[in-house]
Amino acid sequence: MSAAEHGPDDVLTVRGLRMEAGPPGSPVPLLDGVDLRVGRGETVGLVGESGSGKSLTARAALGLFPAGARVSGAVTAAGTEVIGADRAALRGLRRHRVSMVFQDPRAAVNPVRRVGDHLTEALRARGVPRREARDRALDLLERVGIRDPRTAVRRFPHEFSGGMLQRVVIAGALSTGPDLILADEPTTALDVTTQAEVIALLDSLRRERGTGMLFVTHDLDLAAAICDRVHVMYAGRIVEETTGAELLSAPAHPYTRALVAASPSLHGDRGAPVPVAGRPRSLAEAPSGCSFRDRCPAADDACAAAVPAVRRHGGAAVACLRPAAVAL
Amino acid sequence: MSGGDAIRPVLTATALTKRFGSFTAVEDVGFTLMPGASLGIVGESGSGKTTTARILVGLERPTSGTVVLDGEPAAGGGARRRRARLIQMIFQDPYGSFDPRQSVARSVEEPLRLHFPGPAADRHRRVAELLDRVGLGPREGAALPRDLSGGQRQRAAIARALAVEPRVLVLDEAVAALDVSVQAQILALLEELRRDTGTAYVFVGHDLAVVRHVTDEVLVMRRGRVVEHGDTERVLRDPHHPYTRLLLDSVPSPGWDPGRPARDRRALDALDTPTPTTGHGEDQCRSSNG
Repeated sequence: MSAAEHGPDDVLTVRGLRMEAGPPGSPVPLLDGVDLRVGRGETVGLVGESGSGKSLTARAALGLFPAGARVSGAVTAAGTEVIGADRAALRGLRRHRVSMVFQDPRAAVNPVRRVGDHLTEALRARGVPRREARDRALDLLERVGIRDPRTAVRRFPHEFSGGMLQRVVIAGALSTGPDLILADEPTTALDVTTQAEVIALLDSLRRERGTGMLFVTHDLDLAAAICDRVHVMYAGRIVEETTGAELLSAPAHPYTRALVAASPSLHGDRGAPVPVAGRPRSLAEAPSGCSFRDRCPAADDACAAAVPAVRRHGGAAVACLRPAAVAL
Repeated sequence: MSGGDAIRPVLTATALTKRFGSFTAVEDVGFTLMPGASLGIVGESGSGKTTTARILVGLERPTSGTVVLDGEPAAGGGARRRRARLIQMIFQDPYGSFDPRQSVARSVEEPLRLHFPGPAADRHRRVAELLDRVGLGPREGAALPRDLSGGQRQRAAIARALAVEPRVLVLDEAVAALDVSVQAQILALLEELRRDTGTAYVFVGHDLAVVRHVTDEVLVMRRGRVVEHGDTERVLRDPHHPYTRLLLDSVPSPGWDPGRPARDRRALDALDTPTPTTGHGEDQCRSSNG
């Protein structure tokens, strides 16, 4: 996307990322030409529905590709080119520079090891002495709002609630002082009240340390509230890049507009959410040309001819021939 | 009870309490539901909203309190089938409530076989009707549950619940797992069905924006108790209880301060500790619009 110019302060740049799986004879396309960047201290959202490829894109930043997938393009995370990197380089990247927080904290920690071990593991692997690593772990737990860290480090994951364990996972993600955090639906499994607390935590860390964050979510309201910029994905492609502020107030791509219209709102008029015909598609199922055209009320033959190029529309970059043509 | 043509509540829950050992999951919960009305139950996990829903449909027996369905208490051995005719439940993940080896149409047919014995041809016609009603065709009917998308499975679950023409549908986080474009389709379908059939809804959910759109009245639950009960629009615009405010402040919106809920929570916890009496603007209203 044209907006993805490389900046010197970028902690993540993705350019022309393509991915396909399956046998070479009948490949299954997963991603097509994904461009995005995350600057230092910036929170960038990646929103879309199931199968849009948002998690695949986020994982690609760590060199986590599906088994057997063929990948091309360029992915630079914290100064390391990820595609084609050897295991040692990837291990170093994951250990020191880039951390990931997933939706389910229980899948991210070893259930039979104490929480303290989880937190000191990455530090010990870097050669930090045991005692110092332990002190750092206590510090981190305090920082993420766990009461009585001295007791907490000796407890097991099952002794924590989901929200508290997600704090532990975030503490672990921060233990190495990463340049970039990849947060894949980190609050989706939590209550709204706990979500707010976890978001407040991530946000204060971003401000204090200048950590860049790629925030993957299906929640438009959340993305609009916390992200500097937001990329909207549909069927393996980015269809719009816009600011958090304009995501809800001035969506340009028909798909973004459809998502906004379909989301029930807590404020303003109680207009009923407007359904979008059909269901979300993956890239493999999508029609030729614009992937959204079979669900788009403004689509015509021109949309079938080719994948629309990205063009500027106000503050946004949109892959559509007729941005903002669909009424909200 | 008022006789004649007076409209009576289709569901009355009175002083429902459920204890698991020494833990009280639900305490003194009560409300009435009129035909065609829609009541929301909101709260955090552990607030007792799902346990309340399960008591209503009979999946959980209350420690004390009563559920009256269509004028008669829902209890006792012979009452199970009657209860199933009157009240049905839809879960967040319909996959878990379908037999994975049976076609969707057959699953929808099952309650018909149980409740309306008669010629198979009639049943099959009714199944096709029900599937059509929720926007599924014969192709989806012949499919196995795993071959349908999440939205289609939820439609099938709704078709099956409607097969017995229940007076009340309990929806427990029924649209929470769906993509937003599909969620809007299901919400529109539910609204249409309520209008056409007069089925009343009890909608359990954590998403206040969704609850706002599908309910007229809402119960806010915290730690097993109802802390606020009133007209949905009023409760969301002008919450009386600090806990309701906490829930509302937690919802992201432009200019959102994610630190505020934590402050609300501390204020609320401070409020909890010393005072033994009720009060603090707790809305004790057990209003019925009947």
